[in-house]
Amino acid sequence: MSLSDDLASALGDIRHLSTRYKSGDSRAFDAFRDLVSLILHSTVLHSNSAARLSYGEGSDLVLGGWNGPTDPLGLTDGNFLRLSIALYREDTPQGPRVKVRASSFQYQRDPDGERWIFRYDYLRNPPERYPACHLQVRGTLIETGDVQRVHFPTHRVSLEAVIRLLIEEFNVPPRTPPEFWRPLLAESEAIFLDIAHQSLSGPDE
Amino acid sequence: MQTATETPLRLSRNEIVARLQDGAQRRLHISAEELVRLYRDGRLTDAGRVADLLMLAHLLDQRDPLFVAL
Repeated sequence: MSLSDDLASALGDIRHLSTRYKSGDSRAFDAFRDLVSLILHSTVLHSNSAARLSYGEGSDLVLGGWNGPTDPLGLTDGNFLRLSIALYREDTPQGPRVKVRASSFQYQRDPDGERWIFRYDYLRNPPERYPACHLQVRGTLIETGDVQRVHFPTHRVSLEAVIRLLIEEFNVPPRTPPEFWRPLLAESEAIFLDIAHQSLSGPDE
Repeated sequence: MQTATETPLRLSRNEIVARLQDGAQRRLHISAEELVRLYRDGRLTDAGRVADLLMLAHLLDQRDPLFVAL
């Protein structure tokens, strides 16, 4: 198959999996996992790494590393992405829907995350005064010094945006050529942004 | 592309609590109960640093003794 054939097939998979996870049915969690896996395997995920759903005693599931939410994913540059997404199903007037309760995408040098570089967090219902969607950077600003505890407010940032950042700005080698991964991320991100929950940048009272 | 991720990871309550306990002690020098309490009260400094640990708590039933005791 040619690259354009592969791309057409992958774009079809993106649309199909997105439709399935948006349906909220009994296979929706699997579809979400497969979608994230497709995106990661087409871009920055090391060939020995894989995302996996974890479940326990409650109704939430968490998408994370192979050995659970605290197990980071290996990347093609030898660094790690600590990916964790808490999912739940909710009945809505439109039918059941899979929703994200919280997500965290952290780029880090070591498996334990002591040497983290940046992190995007999202909490649907934050218990604290910090923005529900925020960016943290483990660094120092020339003018103000250490900013690793500063929560820079953002809108909802997609996994696709983080992957683009890793490839384009942090030089994480992609597993496929730009003619493949760019339209793939664009397709998936557009679908996500169409339904993504957005939050205020702080408490409303 | 084929990925070998179809089998989900099942964690028992004891496994989840043990992982929470280990992570909270090792990384923050506090207990799992204290971690959850601080987080729920909005008093956990830099919660994102341990977001992966807090994700483990999402796997527990909301009526779990770890939460109910707080």
